[in-house]
Amino acid sequence: MGNRRWDRYGPSTYRPTPIQFYRPITEDPYHSNFIPYHPIPYQQAIAEENDADDSESSNSVSFISNIPNDMLVKILSYLPVASAVRASVVCKRWHEAVRSFSLQGSTEDPSPSQKPWYFMFTCGNKLVTGFAYDASYRKWYGLEFPCIEKGMWSFSSSNGLVCLMDIENGYRIFLCNPITKDWRAFTQPPGTTSPDYCAMALAVDRKTKNYNLAVVKCSQVHVDLYEWDLSIHLYQPDTGSWFSPYSEVLVGSRGGEECVICDGVLYYLISTAGVLGAVEPRHAVVLYDLSNPNRRPKERLVDTIVQVPCALTCARLMNLREKLVMVGGIGKVDRPGVVKGIGIWELCKKEWKEVARMPHKLFQGFGEFDELFASNGSGDLIYIQSYGSPALLIFDVSQKIWKWASKSPLNKKFPLQIFSGFCFEPRLEIGV
Amino acid sequence: MARSSTENMITLMSSDGEEFMVTEKVARECTTIRNMLEDDCVITNIPLPNVTSDILSMVIEYCMEHVAAAEKAAAETAEKGSSSAPAAAKANKDLEEWDKAFMNVDVYTLCDLILAANYLNVSGLLDLTIQTAANLIKGKSPEQIRKTFHIQNDLSLEEEEKIRSQTPWAFEKSE
Repeated sequence: MGNRRWDRYGPSTYRPTPIQFYRPITEDPYHSNFIPYHPIPYQQAIAEENDADDSESSNSVSFISNIPNDMLVKILSYLPVASAVRASVVCKRWHEAVRSFSLQGSTEDPSPSQKPWYFMFTCGNKLVTGFAYDASYRKWYGLEFPCIEKGMWSFSSSNGLVCLMDIENGYRIFLCNPITKDWRAFTQPPGTTSPDYCAMALAVDRKTKNYNLAVVKCSQVHVDLYEWDLSIHLYQPDTGSWFSPYSEVLVGSRGGEECVICDGVLYYLISTAGVLGAVEPRHAVVLYDLSNPNRRPKERLVDTIVQVPCALTCARLMNLREKLVMVGGIGKVDRPGVVKGIGIWELCKKEWKEVARMPHKLFQGFGEFDELFASNGSGDLIYIQSYGSPALLIFDVSQKIWKWASKSPLNKKFPLQIFSGFCFEPRLEIGV
Repeated sequence: MARSSTENMITLMSSDGEEFMVTEKVARECTTIRNMLEDDCVITNIPLPNVTSDILSMVIEYCMEHVAAAEKAAAETAEKGSSSAPAAAKANKDLEEWDKAFMNVDVYTLCDLILAANYLNVSGLLDLTIQTAANLIKGKSPEQIRKTFHIQNDLSLEEEEKIRSQTPWAFEKSE
């Protein structure tokens, strides 16, 4: 049966049944070259049958000529992004409707069938190659991502916009919509230009389209002391400038590169590695209320601390429907640095509630799982990938289902090649 | 469900002059009519010059079904003191099934229903019809969309090529 080594990520027995690599996508006849026996929804089949009946008169009356523009725009707002973009070449009127939809936006919530995408990329010698994964159609798109260059980046996305920060190269910050390819650069946030740790979080309000952009910098005060200087910087879109509402000296714990905004609160992951006598490094989350940044917060950050449930590696914070969710690697008891499994928790009233734990056989499905992995989520989906391979695992929080993504077009070409990525909602109608 | 004999009846008149007598409760499902009734409570005869009799009868059928479902749910809650979750879930599912079967129409009727639902402001029906139209577009190629909705492509080859080249990923053919 061939060499099992080629089944590197996910021998087929490890996958739940609905997953088929490189099989035509059944919901999407356009991309499947249409399989005759694939199930078409009943009403669609009926509509197509009727079409055949009416073919004689089909040129005389057009569905679209009767539908007013605002109704057409409303229909477009119910479509997944890929379908809306394809609809723009149907005729002049539809093109205009898609354009006005992307310019003026819509008051509707995004289409419920629109799942967040995952952009996975890898750096070759010079070039960055990346593909976006659409979980609704189980398809990878060759998306050219604006701004991104070779190097280390951190990402934060919210409601269709993605914020990128260049960690290796002076912490430049960009904001972009990967679907419309609009982008802009920000001025540098104040404070030290070479912090030891720097984290960034973006939150876009769905209704008002206003956004919060926060940068948290953390630097050691003195090498001999367990003191870290932490400062929070917020961008004000109305004045186009930064301000620094808060700073604090952390004693015995240091900041990191992970923060997220949920429901107006900035959550920042710190590590208590420096505590004297502490055997295992522990993470904790501190909270900062963004709703009134001009007022001095009632509590210091250290007083808001929420310890994570167990020692974690690669802990990541994410906003799933304005709830704080954390994904992290659970270490072995004797060797906390070695990941034995991956857990997902949700923060409810300062308590972590376990949402799920990755089944062991899926965990094995990553192949050689090196200790480092990336995870990111939005809406109901959490995407998890190992830095060492392009395999991508998806967890649906609402249905509690684990699923492999279809095979990524990215291939591992050299042993130390690193794959990374982040999740974003594809939206036509959000400008930067 | 005993209906009180004193319940107000409203006559709705379609563009082609057909009259439909419905209970006030059913008529109030249309926000446009509800507003008219609230402005002038003695009105009993409402002409609807934008809606044909075929379409109006369908809109009324939709409103009657949804009013009946709501009344049934309310009656069950009153009887048992509280509604049982599984029964409510089943009723919801039944209504969804009914909606789905109701949307078993050709694209012309669908288009007329969207217009009528928009004009009469029946939010449930508008959502249902818009969603159905969106489902007919979803996953189709531009060619298949044109065929489904009987649309003539008035874009020149160059124009179409230009639009496609802006987002090539959306038009990639699969292997």
